[in-house]
Amino acid sequence: MTNIFDSTANVKTELSKQKYIASDEIATIVYLSQKLGKPLLAEGPAGVGKTELAKGIASATGRELIRLQCYEGLDESKALYEWEYSKQLLYTQLLRDKLNDTLGKADTLAGAADQLAKEEDVFFSERFLLKRPLLKAILSDQPTVLLIDEIDRADAEFEAFLLEVLSDFQISVPELGTLSAKHKPFVILTSNNTRELSEALKRRCLYLFIDYPTLQEELAVVRLKVPDLNPKLAGQAVEFVQRLRKADMRKSPSISETLDWANALVALNASNLDKTTLEDTISVLLKHEADLQKAKRQYINPPPPQQPRPRNNNDEFGRFSGN
Amino acid sequence: MPRPYGEHKMESRILQLIAALRASGVRVSLAESAESFSAVDIMGIQDREQFKLSLRATLIKDVKDIPTFEKLFPLFFGTGQPPMMGGNPTDDMTPEEAQMWAEAMKQFAEQMRQRMERLMNGEPLTKSELEALGRMVGLNQADNLNYQNWMAQRMMRALAFPEVREALKELMEQLQQMGMSRDRVEQMREMIQQNMQGMQEQINRFAGERLAENLSERPRGDNIDSLMNRPFQALSDADKKLLQREVKKLTAALRTRIALRQKRMKSGTLDPKTTIRANLKYHGVPMEIHHKDKIKKPKIVVICDISTSMRFCSELMLSFLFALQGQVRKTHAFAFIDHLESISEDFSGANADEAIQSVLWRMPSGHYNTDLGWSLQNFNDGYMDTLNSGTTLIIVGDGRNNYYDPRLDIFSLMTRRASRTIWLNPEPPTLWHGDSDMPKYAPLCDNVLKVGNLRELVNAVDELMTK
Repeated sequence: MTNIFDSTANVKTELSKQKYIASDEIATIVYLSQKLGKPLLAEGPAGVGKTELAKGIASATGRELIRLQCYEGLDESKALYEWEYSKQLLYTQLLRDKLNDTLGKADTLAGAADQLAKEEDVFFSERFLLKRPLLKAILSDQPTVLLIDEIDRADAEFEAFLLEVLSDFQISVPELGTLSAKHKPFVILTSNNTRELSEALKRRCLYLFIDYPTLQEELAVVRLKVPDLNPKLAGQAVEFVQRLRKADMRKSPSISETLDWANALVALNASNLDKTTLEDTISVLLKHEADLQKAKRQYINPPPPQQPRPRNNNDEFGRFSGN
Repeated sequence: MPRPYGEHKMESRILQLIAALRASGVRVSLAESAESFSAVDIMGIQDREQFKLSLRATLIKDVKDIPTFEKLFPLFFGTGQPPMMGGNPTDDMTPEEAQMWAEAMKQFAEQMRQRMERLMNGEPLTKSELEALGRMVGLNQADNLNYQNWMAQRMMRALAFPEVREALKELMEQLQQMGMSRDRVEQMREMIQQNMQGMQEQINRFAGERLAENLSERPRGDNIDSLMNRPFQALSDADKKLLQREVKKLTAALRTRIALRQKRMKSGTLDPKTTIRANLKYHGVPMEIHHKDKIKKPKIVVICDISTSMRFCSELMLSFLFALQGQVRKTHAFAFIDHLESISEDFSGANADEAIQSVLWRMPSGHYNTDLGWSLQNFNDGYMDTLNSGTTLIIVGDGRNNYYDPRLDIFSLMTRRASRTIWLNPEPPTLWHGDSDMPKYAPLCDNVLKVGNLRELVNAVDELMTK
């Protein structure tokens, strides 16, 4: 059973049931996109939950999620459809007798060709059409959620080709004619903003920019997804991640990395964010050697201050506790 | 059905916002503006935040434009609430206190007294008063949001705000001397302070709104259009800043165009996977041969004259090349005035503006003479190996050599090594005389393009990358 959102508040509650915490901004734009029947273009740094949003919407509405992962060199035959030649060949082999029967009735060559032409449709029917994600989403009997992931990785040509699908929800197959959607899929495109998307594509979408979450939002996500982590430690961990994000890193830790880290802390049974725990687990957060070194220098083993100052014993941990 | 007045007003307000967005350099298409209306129809305008988001999601399609929107939105759709006023401290005065107040006020001149009473009573300014103030300071001629604070300050000065503030201080002191209690005076001072802040905010908001409205009424694009056609030499520093912003937008468009138009090389190694796949329909007989697809990206060596006369042209050219790194296999950049320096390192990693600044800082233009001949000699000594059959050589310069040896021997060697040589010169051929060596260099080049303004430069870059 598929259902639709009937208000922005409804979007929020339904998504939170799917363990996705949507901000007012996200809820409003998702609702709007459903109401207008427009694709939603979600942009933002990697790992802030753009793909999760699509999954959340799919399960909240009870629709099937069809995902098209983009990459350089993605073309129509992989995104749209392809004729299944091997199956066609196999069928002709197996149906040879039947074909002989049909064609045998004709007296002349021209007659046989006519007979064959009548049966042509058998071989170019949906039976032999290998549906790729886009066609699948359009022909599905049930309404679906179509996720076109990381569109910025695909070539500019592919973008141009998406335009027909996104504005009219139809696909032209030369042998079959134009196939229109039975149900308009809910389309979500994501982009990591590695290149500028074309104006034409942007024009057809609603735009949602998802940035790194605020401290409160991120804490809520961690509490929801990793309930085993004790609240105090969760607070410290999130605060530390937020601080790392402010520093100039080659790759800032994303929410998904925060969650990985939180899980790691649970697995290690950590009770406090002390120096050894940090040193052991920080590689979960930072994936570049240079970033790791920098974080170790700045946050874990900060250089001693120029003027030696009296230090109390809690200083080491106090740096990471919220206040 | 005729729409109620309120709604109509809202529509024209949204259109004004869109016009202001366009005037600030955000691209908003007709389809998008139509869509913003349907979004607003759905979400309604009761909830201000949702109203804002419905406009933003439909109009703004780029993170870079979000700050512009956030700045303009409150100016067109203010909260509409009157500013915070502190209240009227004279309301609850005892008769003696009121007596003292009246006594103290007598000491001030009539006009000042009106203003002060105004502040004491906590009345906000009326619309027509604000209009009059705005006219007084020339608010209606300005359409740059950066002037908001300045305009507001001028309006406050027109209200004699600083003097009133001083006078109030005096008044308070007098009241205290007359024997009003300290707490009471302090309380009054605070209230008046709040009234003043309220008025200040009101003025500030009014200035912002008026500027934004003016911005939305400004004829669109004319400004930039004429700048694009203006010769480089005639550009002021302010113009250059404007143009730099335009260049960013142009490169985005160029990049898409170039990516689409770049030639695909149809030679190269066989791609067995796609070949087998494509030939399934021929029963596995390889009728269509597929090769590994390779995009033919040019390799560029660019030599820029960054002497004073050529600086801006070179700067723009470099920022184009930098922005187009993705469409190019490798760029070697050199700059010269009297000698040649490699500036490729400046362009690795950093952003374009910074890179160009650092180059210009390292090679400041001085009173020494441009010497292309010697610079070519430098190139010959150190960098000749950057040129090979896949390279496009670009020279940006006016070819004026101050009667030094043009070193045509080296130049012709360079053109023979490179697959293509293109010279970008701001001067048309009719001006190639005097100390210009262009007539000697030109026959050796594959193409000499006149690049005297930004539009010509954009065309030249386009031609360079797609042919």
